[in-house]
Amino acid sequence: MIAGKLASSILDRGVGPLFLAPSVLLLVVLLLGPFVYMVVISFTDLSYALPDRDGNFLGFDNYRRLVRDDPVFWESFRTTMIFVFGVVSTEFLLGFALALLLFHHIQRRRVILTLLLIPMMIAPVAVGLMWKLMLHGEFGMLTYYLRALGLLDPQTALLGNHQLVLWTVMLVDVWEWTPFVTLVILAGLLSLPREPFEAAVMDGARPWQIFRDMTLPLLRPIIALVMLLRGIDAFKEFDKVFILTGGGPGNTTELLSIYTWRVNFRNWDLGYGATNAFMVYLVVLIFCAVFYKAVYWSRST
Amino acid sequence: MAHKTHFSMGTAGLRFGMAAGGFVLALAIGSPAGAWSLEEAAKPYKGTTLRTIGEALPPLEAMDKLKHKFEERTGIKVIIEMYEHSEAVNKVMLDLNSRRGRYDFILQPHRELGRFVANGHLTPIDRFMSDPKLRDPNFKPEEVLYQSLWKEISWYGGKAYGFPFTALTMYLWYRKDLIEDPKEQAGFKAKYGYDMQVPATWDQYRDLAEWFTRPEQRFYGTAIQGKRHEALWYEWLNFLYSFGGDMMEVSSGSECGPIIVNSPEAVASLDYYKSLIPFSPSDTLNYFWDDVMVAMQQGKTFQMIMWNDATYAVEDPSQSTVSGKMGFDVIPQGKGGKVGQVEGWTYLIPAYAEDKEAAYLFIQWMMGFDQQLEQHQNGGASSRPDVYAHPDVQKITYSKASMDTNAVSIAKPTIPESPEITEILVLQLSNALAGKKTSQQALDDAAVAMGKLLGDCAPLKFPVN
Amino acid sequence: MAALALIVVVLVITLTPYLWLVMTSFKTRLDALADVPIWLFTPTLEHYPKVFLDKDYLPLVLNSLIVAGSVTALSLLIGVPGAYVFARHDFPGKEDLFFFFLTTRMAPPISVVVPMFLLFSYVGLIDSRIALILAHSTFNLSLVVWMMRGFFEDIPREIDEAAQMDGHTRAGTFFWVLLPVAAPGIAATAVLCFILSWNEFLYALILASFESRTLTVGIPGLVTPHGTLWGQVAAVAVVATLPIIAFTFLVQHHLVRGLTFGAIKG
Repeated sequence: MIAGKLASSILDRGVGPLFLAPSVLLLVVLLLGPFVYMVVISFTDLSYALPDRDGNFLGFDNYRRLVRDDPVFWESFRTTMIFVFGVVSTEFLLGFALALLLFHHIQRRRVILTLLLIPMMIAPVAVGLMWKLMLHGEFGMLTYYLRALGLLDPQTALLGNHQLVLWTVMLVDVWEWTPFVTLVILAGLLSLPREPFEAAVMDGARPWQIFRDMTLPLLRPIIALVMLLRGIDAFKEFDKVFILTGGGPGNTTELLSIYTWRVNFRNWDLGYGATNAFMVYLVVLIFCAVFYKAVYWSRST
Repeated sequence: MAHKTHFSMGTAGLRFGMAAGGFVLALAIGSPAGAWSLEEAAKPYKGTTLRTIGEALPPLEAMDKLKHKFEERTGIKVIIEMYEHSEAVNKVMLDLNSRRGRYDFILQPHRELGRFVANGHLTPIDRFMSDPKLRDPNFKPEEVLYQSLWKEISWYGGKAYGFPFTALTMYLWYRKDLIEDPKEQAGFKAKYGYDMQVPATWDQYRDLAEWFTRPEQRFYGTAIQGKRHEALWYEWLNFLYSFGGDMMEVSSGSECGPIIVNSPEAVASLDYYKSLIPFSPSDTLNYFWDDVMVAMQQGKTFQMIMWNDATYAVEDPSQSTVSGKMGFDVIPQGKGGKVGQVEGWTYLIPAYAEDKEAAYLFIQWMMGFDQQLEQHQNGGASSRPDVYAHPDVQKITYSKASMDTNAVSIAKPTIPESPEITEILVLQLSNALAGKKTSQQALDDAAVAMGKLLGDCAPLKFPVN
Repeated sequence: MAALALIVVVLVITLTPYLWLVMTSFKTRLDALADVPIWLFTPTLEHYPKVFLDKDYLPLVLNSLIVAGSVTALSLLIGVPGAYVFARHDFPGKEDLFFFFLTTRMAPPISVVVPMFLLFSYVGLIDSRIALILAHSTFNLSLVVWMMRGFFEDIPREIDEAAQMDGHTRAGTFFWVLLPVAAPGIAATAVLCFILSWNEFLYALILASFESRTLTVGIPGLVTPHGTLWGQVAAVAVVATLPIIAFTFLVQHHLVRGLTFGAIKG
């Protein structure tokens, strides 16, 4: 009887902790644990390559090195910023335009939309591979047509040219993720109430005015959301750039994640690599906090 | 300008190798009873499973096909993990440093040796060689292997840690059919004023590259491995050595010495290397060994510098359109004379391996003449002179180029910092090729970075202001 | 109908690269590496058996299936009850805990993969698929919690109240009443989980052993000094992507919600 009552009680009032504990536990052990370890290592000289570097405490030396003594890190940071702002703004403009197109002019959206989703559903590694094939200097399909149209010099290949390669990589990302922006903004457009718009049209408002004064403000939380999501993911970009260029030529496409990978898995400078990793995490965390506020904003709107 | 000693193997070495080989064969055939036998030695380890890891290429695939013979004789199984080059290195690094002992023996590029030894990850091989229960008295590495190759590939700090799995080098690949084409010969002579021939100097190499660059036909004089990848470093070393330069002034790979990577000779070699870009396919700066291989196989290039263990693939009619049309030779000469580079993957036994003795038995067996011959004929690169002396091997089109290059190859650094030296150079070379820096700037930056990495043992012989 | 023309152009741009990949997987090497792109060709089936049977890539498909499936199961098992708590209960620090879940989804894999590797090595899990399954669960768990919280919140509280009047405990309400109602949402979440795990690369690269490696890792593994075997690489990529595309059609209704963490309903 008592056991039954106890069980009942747990299944009733203890549900909160009971149901939540496993996930919290898993995340704390698997993510928080390594994270803390990473932060600890970032203060040491741990290296797998050089002897006698088994984790002696270095104080803030690694951080000082990162801030003052590592132009490659900051160049990588700059490249990543260009990448992030470039792709997010382009994907936003194109995605929004596409969403408007679909919203206003197309009826059979479902089929088209599903087809449009394919780029973002394919494994990023495969995306990298696909474009590497098409952009190959000698037998790439796209290279051939670009040259045929006179847009590309026969002696130049997009992925081998240090002035064009970053833009090329950004273009691949735009191809991959614009559908995502389209999807979300379209969902937003569809969720807007009809009456205010119908009323505005009847009042004689012109399309541009409606767009500027009604659509945009109403969509603002969703826009913020999708841009932040894309920003965070673009910042973490690794897979397809790794396959497309490996960071080269030189370090023209060496994004932060690729630089961190190189420090960790080529130089095996794990202490410094952890410092790098922490900085990357920090920036993402800041983006996250902003994103969270934006989500709150959109949920309450 | 200091030069590392060339490893002379000449005809004397060849004859000695043949004699040794014959002697070993005789012993193997007419072995008296009661002597050491593999089956006896392997008895205590019967039923063990060995695990190893290496690069997914013909030599390893050949080992995979051979291992059943070992399993049948000893009851010891062998599992081979095959990975792409850098993954094979990465996985081993992670395994050794976590001290897991996943692998009973490993195959690694020899320039990782210093790093492993300095961190105490390896067991020297003489521990097993001096054990009469394990050691096959017929196997005398000091007699049957190219000593210089063995020393550079598998020794460090005066101790042997294994045996060469492959003795690699790079040499010249060219389209023999085109060089022998009378129309080409006539046109070439008309333009350059001398007879077309296999390039013996870098000027000739350049002329040939220029002559054969025909973008309208999508045919190019050459292809360089310009991607930011160690392939770039390996390829440039050919030019560096040939122009009389080097990275450090030392006499063997395990030493640290003055940095000369930004010497005038080195800068000249990089300038020359850059000058080949117009004669290469359009995205040659995104090419590594894989892409230049495809270019040659598809008949898109006339000549290039490539690896001896990849030659197999360009001569294989099932994947190459130019098989049978190829010629091979030592790379052209510059101020440095006839040179090549020592490179190799070596057998190594980790200190944390579980079945070290069984692993040694397998390695020793693989180094036997029969296995070495069969492996070599299936795309391997043996380090046994007697294998090269075998008539069937002599018939292979690239054997001579291989042997000639091996004879003059220069060692490269194997100190613990060597992989990081490679990374530094790859970055700077890539910058120079991309036109972001001049050759002098790039090599100066590399020298400074190397100096920082190595410290006092490596002063800059050509200081940068 | 300029709009329609525009849409067609967009669709062509969107789908041609993938089409080209699929075609390459059926082209002979000569056709694939031709100077002038070939659109009409005699297809060959040689690459698929060569890479999946000869090169022994079939186990990789199995690994991807097992890992993605296990990750989905684990994430749902642990995450759905957690989402329920966020949807129906209030407690101090609730939104802070929810934010913590978000950060786990955002953690850059490159930042945690090395310590994760060391952790798994230490406990001896590195040789099995378990390491990868656990690693993938770290980012999928928060996806489940965030997505399912939205689905649960969509269910009117009256249903809970009715169930409790029928004598169910809260746990009982969850199991017997809410779960069935949220089933479509759970299905959508499951598919998304599966996709994200299946497509993942970096964790698989570092944490998977030779026997447990997945398809995504197998793709760059085909790049060898023999010359990249583009036909085979394409074949692997096609097999790695076709199931996902099929799943996309199944789950597209709920994709918006999933990909925006439940913030926007599709």
